[in-house]
Amino acid sequence: MGRLDGKVAFVTAAGGAIAGATARLFGAEGAAVCCVDIVEDNVGQTASDINEAGGKAIAIPCDVTDDDAIKAAVDKTVSEFGKLDVCFNAAAYSEKRHRLAEMPLDMWKSVIDVNLTGMFIVARHVIPEMQKAGGGSIINVSSIYGVVGAKERPAYCAAKGGVRMLSKSIAVDYAEDKIRANSIMPGPIETPRLLVRNPSIEAVIERHGTRLHQKRLGKPEEIAQTALFLASDESSFTSGADMVVDAAYTAF
Amino acid sequence: MGMLDGKAAFVTAAGGGIAGAIARRFGAEGAAVCCVDVVEETVAKTAADIEAAGGKAISKICNVADEEAVKKTVDDAASELGLLNVVVNAAATSEPLHTVANMPLEVWQDVLDVNLTGMFLVAKHAIPHMQAAGGGQFINISSTFGHIAWPQRPAYMATKGAVRQLSKSIALDFAEDNIRANSILPGAIETNRLLSRTPTMEQVREKMVPLHPIGRLGQPEDIANAAAFLASDESSFMTGSDVFVDGGFTAV
Repeated sequence: MGRLDGKVAFVTAAGGAIAGATARLFGAEGAAVCCVDIVEDNVGQTASDINEAGGKAIAIPCDVTDDDAIKAAVDKTVSEFGKLDVCFNAAAYSEKRHRLAEMPLDMWKSVIDVNLTGMFIVARHVIPEMQKAGGGSIINVSSIYGVVGAKERPAYCAAKGGVRMLSKSIAVDYAEDKIRANSIMPGPIETPRLLVRNPSIEAVIERHGTRLHQKRLGKPEEIAQTALFLASDESSFTSGADMVVDAAYTAF
Repeated sequence: MGMLDGKAAFVTAAGGGIAGAIARRFGAEGAAVCCVDVVEETVAKTAADIEAAGGKAISKICNVADEEAVKKTVDDAASELGLLNVVVNAAATSEPLHTVANMPLEVWQDVLDVNLTGMFLVAKHAIPHMQAAGGGQFINISSTFGHIAWPQRPAYMATKGAVRQLSKSIALDFAEDNIRANSILPGAIETNRLLSRTPTMEQVREKMVPLHPIGRLGQPEDIANAAAFLASDESSFMTGSDVFVDGGFTAV
């Protein structure tokens, strides 16, 4: 018996490491999963992993900033699986390092579009389906950089802070529809994305220094476990909460 | 197979509503549980419930503000259970309503002794056993009143705020020993304790439910679910975190 038996999940950035691990765990726990990502090959791989493991999944290549495409993806999920009652919103990217005054406006806008407006767009199409399903759980991936600042990443920090409060706004406005909304704030997680800015994982560990109290990076599966708790009925009184999964990075 | 197979837990206030539910859940998930309280009948009942359900439990009477008693109780629990690697610190009391200016020092001191110094003492004497066991988890029960204010409960609020930071301090200092420490911040949970200030649960609901967007009081099992997650290896990258289980109370 899975912890998400009978649920249908919509997972963005499912071709990536964190959301990919989450989609696979959701599938293993009995949810039918719609895997969404802008990169077709990656998202197809996640869906086929779930299907090969005996779960149920479809893949939809889709850009979270495209309102019509997200609406179509949500509709497709419902026509395929009958309903939609879990949403894991993870699509995000970060700007090249800039301080605010040197950041081109276009760069700011594109980070805000994906990381914040993308979550708004996904939420606005999944909420009516959750209302029809009699309730749901929305899990938005914020970041420790929605809690503390990061150097030279003003758009990423602003967007991730925005995600926290967007979750609380949804939690408050849709509680009467039995829709819960929570954020997860991951600390540094070992994913291929880290290598965009850093020469190696060891270099990342060194750079974070004494803030990595377990002397290691987190694993995508450790975020997936938190998402599973929030998606399941075990967290039925948890809504509008910030789940910090950072091995005390922000406690320091 | 339980989430907590092979673990041994020390649960204070286990005769009460919240910690009683936590102890029973831990027992059902495979942990051996030492149920601790100042009230003999209620704590023995919790231990008997766990045993009747097929779990393993012992019960002990201990005032957490008494260092000698805490040390003996913790040491005895570890030797009777064979190890001790999970601690739930839930023992707490609250003052009669006072403002700071009209609160007698003894009233303040009593609340601090139980709610804060009690956690310090249990932690101090449990940590060596966790180190010997190769790691462990602290789950310290704070409160939404460790985050937002409420009229005329200065000592309770001060201790619940302090609990959050005490957890973070333990998280940092003992990360190298694989010890994690997190706080849970419950909203209003339906227990007999709520009736100490309000005559009937119906009146409690009239007053408190409107403050919880989710539209109900929490149940002790809601807190037990979060505690089981934090005690298990599913939360292995979470330490120093504040986990709100408050039905959206503090999200508004």
